[in-house]
Amino acid sequence: MHPATASQQISGPALFAEGISKAFVSGQQRTQVLDGLTLGIEAGELTLISGPSGCGKSTLLAILSGLQKVDSGRVHALGSELGQLDPRALERFRLQHTGFVFQGFNLFPALSAFEQVELPLNHMGLSRDEARRRARVSLEEVGLAHRMRLRPSELSGGEKQRVAIARALAKEPELLFADEPTSALDAANGQMIIDILHRIAHAHGTTVLCVSHDPRLVVHADRVLAMEDGRILSDRRTHAAVTQSKEIPS
Amino acid sequence: MVALARKTLIYEWRRFLPAMLAVGFAGLLQLLQIALVLGIFGSTSLYITGSSADVWVGYPGTQSVGSGRTISADVESRVLMDPAVQRVEPYIWVDGDWRGVGETGGVSVFVSGIDPGANGLMFSKALPPSLRARLVEPDAVVVDRSALDQLGVDIGQTATINGHPVRVVGISSGLRALGGVNVLCSLDTARRLNDDPADNGPTYLVAKLRDPSKAGAVAARLRGATAFGPYTTWSADDFARLSVLYWLFDTGAGAGVLFLAGIVFLVGAAITSQTLIAAVNGSVREYATLNALGVGVAALRRVVLEQAFWVGALGLLGASVLGLLLLMLARSQDVPVVLNVPAALACIVLVMGLAAVSGLAAMRSLRRADPATLLR
Ligand SMILES: Nc1ncnc2c1ncn2[C@@H]1O[C@H](COP(=O)(O)OP(=O)(O)OP(=O)(O)O)[C@@H](O)[C@H]1O
Ligand SMILES: [Mg+2]
Repeated sequence: MHPATASQQISGPALFAEGISKAFVSGQQRTQVLDGLTLGIEAGELTLISGPSGCGKSTLLAILSGLQKVDSGRVHALGSELGQLDPRALERFRLQHTGFVFQGFNLFPALSAFEQVELPLNHMGLSRDEARRRARVSLEEVGLAHRMRLRPSELSGGEKQRVAIARALAKEPELLFADEPTSALDAANGQMIIDILHRIAHAHGTTVLCVSHDPRLVVHADRVLAMEDGRILSDRRTHAAVTQSKEIPS
Repeated sequence: MVALARKTLIYEWRRFLPAMLAVGFAGLLQLLQIALVLGIFGSTSLYITGSSADVWVGYPGTQSVGSGRTISADVESRVLMDPAVQRVEPYIWVDGDWRGVGETGGVSVFVSGIDPGANGLMFSKALPPSLRARLVEPDAVVVDRSALDQLGVDIGQTATINGHPVRVVGISSGLRALGGVNVLCSLDTARRLNDDPADNGPTYLVAKLRDPSKAGAVAARLRGATAFGPYTTWSADDFARLSVLYWLFDTGAGAGVLFLAGIVFLVGAAITSQTLIAAVNGSVREYATLNALGVGVAALRRVVLEQAFWVGALGLLGASVLGLLLLMLARSQDVPVVLNVPAALACIVLVMGLAAVSGLAAMRSLRRADPATLLR
């Protein structure tokens, strides 16, 4: 139905990395974080990247989302090659197509939940009414309809992360990136966040790429990539995802 | 549009308060400094601005009112011949040594010999008619309220100037002088007080025109004749400016003002930019998140610049209120302070310039708002 048509609009994977390498040089020391990694991420799925600390998960996410440049290799996102875009064009690409959720919630202390969500929409060239409508719908979708007027200092950690998700979701992005979105939260709140991300992938056909080393999240993902030392060790579709994908006519 | 800059400024006002105080105090310092300098040095042209003469005639090369030399009394007829001139009167300046009844030692005084008639031009705006009329009496003088202690006299008492006895018949206000004390008397009294036999003409001739707006043209026309000995002419405005500029720059006060203005600007900008930078750094993760979501760096810069603008505007508001109160206090205490439109504009420009410079400095720390740093 709707999710299927959304994901069918893009032929092939929504995100495709081809032989990407990335090294950091600090002083004399050179750390090869990613080395010739090739990877495709499908639309309409929640893909989870897990692995030990320092294995390069966040670096991979930064590269796939266009926040960081590769040393070699190519990244194709929604038909554009990110390496070809200048910083301005990358900003525009992110404005139109991507949403982010970070470990820290990064909300402005002075703004209400509603304004946090509305603010990026103002820069997308939407009318005031449309921006407000989207902000309201997104906050309702993450279950914060009754908390819209509160500032971050009046919200719990889980609520703050849900505001951050609504902020990304209201842009109606094709790509949604989340880096350790649950690690600052307790089990119940983490559970709720991953459920929301899962639902977004399925209901909106969004490509959701989530990085986490939280093993409890594995069961909620459609696809789990295990990473170690800059390489993908295993790539498997979880049981939950298999049963769900059977329900979706393709 | 969500007003991020203003909402942050209001909600986190404590963080911006030091910047506003820095801007405000820089503005206040500048305002008071300019007002004081204008007040003090403005008094050097009081003889001109407090009178209703449109054209002044004096010795060529005179640099300020107090440094005139006598000219020939015959110039008066030359000036009167000009059809634009309505009235001419002499003005005699005598440097005197005052000995009062009190124990004050000698006080250097500037004696102004003026026409005491009701139509007299000199000090017509500064001296009430009743006081002026009292100067008709021989050896009568009027002194300024602010100088009474310095002169050691009060109304009705006698003293001597250059050894000649004088009697204080009245007390004026607003006639404070720089580097001495103003004493007003009639032309006849002034001639008696002058003990230099070489001086036998007026120091200046002052003229009123039928049409004051022609002062510049008439002054130019009256210049150049040599038949009556050396003299030159100025419009009242030109001569007042000449006097003030002479004091400002030949005493080094002008350079001092500019120097202090520069220091105030630098210190103000240093403090303001530091606090603004701290405020930006405090939100750098939020700015980076917005940038990750595609909000351009240019838009983020505008937020910082807008905050700098509000900091400047609010600082200016505080400085204006406090400055006006202080100026009123100064006036009530006879401290010479004057504020005019160009000076007030200069203060506004300085303060807003300072805020802008600080905003630009703070914008640089937005470079740290690189969204890749949020992914670690
Ligand atoms: N800007 C940088 N400069 C130098 N080294 C870096 C930089 N960013 C990352 N690294 C290094 O790259 C490696 C991978 O970092 P990355 O942040 O991708 O790990 P991660 O898998 O996200 O770990 P964690 O689970 O702890 O978040 C680390 O060894 C780190 O020290
Ligand atoms: Mg990480």
